Amino acid sequence: MPLEPATALVLRTVDWSESSLVVTLFSREFGKIRGVARGGRRPKGPFESSLDVLSRCRIIFLRKSSDALDVLSEAKLIERFRPFERGLPALQAGYHIAELLDAWTDCYDPHPQLYDLTIATLAELRPQTPLGALLLQFELAALRLLGYFPALKECVHCGAVVQPQSRVSFSCLEGGVLCVSCRPGKRNVISLSNAAWQIMSQLPLLWDDDQTTTEKEASDARQRKLDVDGLRRLPTDGLGELRPVVSQYVNHLLGFMPRTQASLGK
Amino acid sequence: MISESVSRLIEEFSKLPGIGKKTAERLTYHVLRVHEAEALQLAEAIRNIKLNVRYCEECYNLAETEQCAICRDSRRDRSRICVVEQPRDLISLENTGSYSGSYHVLLGRIAPLEGIGPEQLTIDRLIERVQQGGVKEVIMATNPTVEGDGTALHISNLLAEFPLEITRLARGVTAGSVLEFANREVLTDALTGRQKF
Repeated sequence: MPLEPATALVLRTVDWSESSLVVTLFSREFGKIRGVARGGRRPKGPFESSLDVLSRCRIIFLRKSSDALDVLSEAKLIERFRPFERGLPALQAGYHIAELLDAWTDCYDPHPQLYDLTIATLAELRPQTPLGALLLQFELAALRLLGYFPALKECVHCGAVVQPQSRVSFSCLEGGVLCVSCRPGKRNVISLSNAAWQIMSQLPLLWDDDQTTTEKEASDARQRKLDVDGLRRLPTDGLGELRPVVSQYVNHLLGFMPRTQASLGK
Repeated sequence: MISESVSRLIEEFSKLPGIGKKTAERLTYHVLRVHEAEALQLAEAIRNIKLNVRYCEECYNLAETEQCAICRDSRRDRSRICVVEQPRDLISLENTGSYSGSYHVLLGRIAPLEGIGPEQLTIDRLIERVQQGGVKEVIMATNPTVEGDGTALHISNLLAEFPLEITRLARGVTAGSVLEFANREVLTDALTGRQKF
């Protein structure tokens, strides 16, 4: 079985033995990978302490054909996530992104655009960045890339175009907005202000997901893709209203509340 | 067929970290070979550690009385508290012989992805110790990982309101190595944490 090279973000590590780790990575080339890194806890050796949560590294691994864990043979650190420079809210947002990626993606289901979005978002997790808006943008853009984005233009029930009004009915259960005629009788419907509805529609579009083919091209494109200034201009009341709505929608899709969700914004 | 007692001991040994079936068998046959007194000493040592060892009420280091030997030692500098994740980290620092202050063991680190929050650690007791007064410096000696640094950051935020110095262990280039072979992250750490001559 051939050794496969990949560029990957570490989502999670679990101690396996005295010196080994079970690592969950999100790679650009293969999607999620779960593997054993024998000696991964030792500072010296083929992993050189690179397998830390939110670190980006180049890995070489042996892909197993059965359900068994893959075997990581080498990892070289590209970039480490540095909590002291980023601050606690940025770290909590980083944990949340890692948990969502682990829950949303399957092993060997590559999403290079989602990988690029993640790396670009992590790069912007800094004290001066509007973290709430950045995280909302990540969640909504990721939902769009994964095909889970809610229907916002047409009624999810009858398909009629929803006219902009002062408030819009949003249903997590149905997966989008409801027109005035379809709204009655529906459970768990949230009333969204027009400002929040506009932000929800536009936020994922701030991420330009042009298809890029290589890691190098993606790396060059990243800086122009994330419009942090655009996020700063968004109305704060609309963002504040959107946070619980998006969280509720994400929880509904996952079927559980992510552990890291409670710590966001604390 | 091997006897029930032998297979039970093999099974118990193989539950220990880093011990596989073969090593467990070797250890079991070693116990069978040695004198009865020596084997019973091992059993007694295991029994004692479970019955007598507890956490120090002050710093959560391992102790056999209410306070550990370090907290009872009047020569230790109580104005400095070194915060570590586990008792084994404390032992590593003590083995250097270059620190004479007190310690605080967190008994873990904040790991939200594993469901471990600050309330599951001994952070409240650390804050109480600082509130009691007399502490001039808190040294963050958590592991230099994202979770270790995150834990240190959380604690330093909680301690920010107190009039004390918060420091963390230096990191960077290993003494005796050469810069040419140090990776980018290590050199960044070394430059960030540079010191005055």
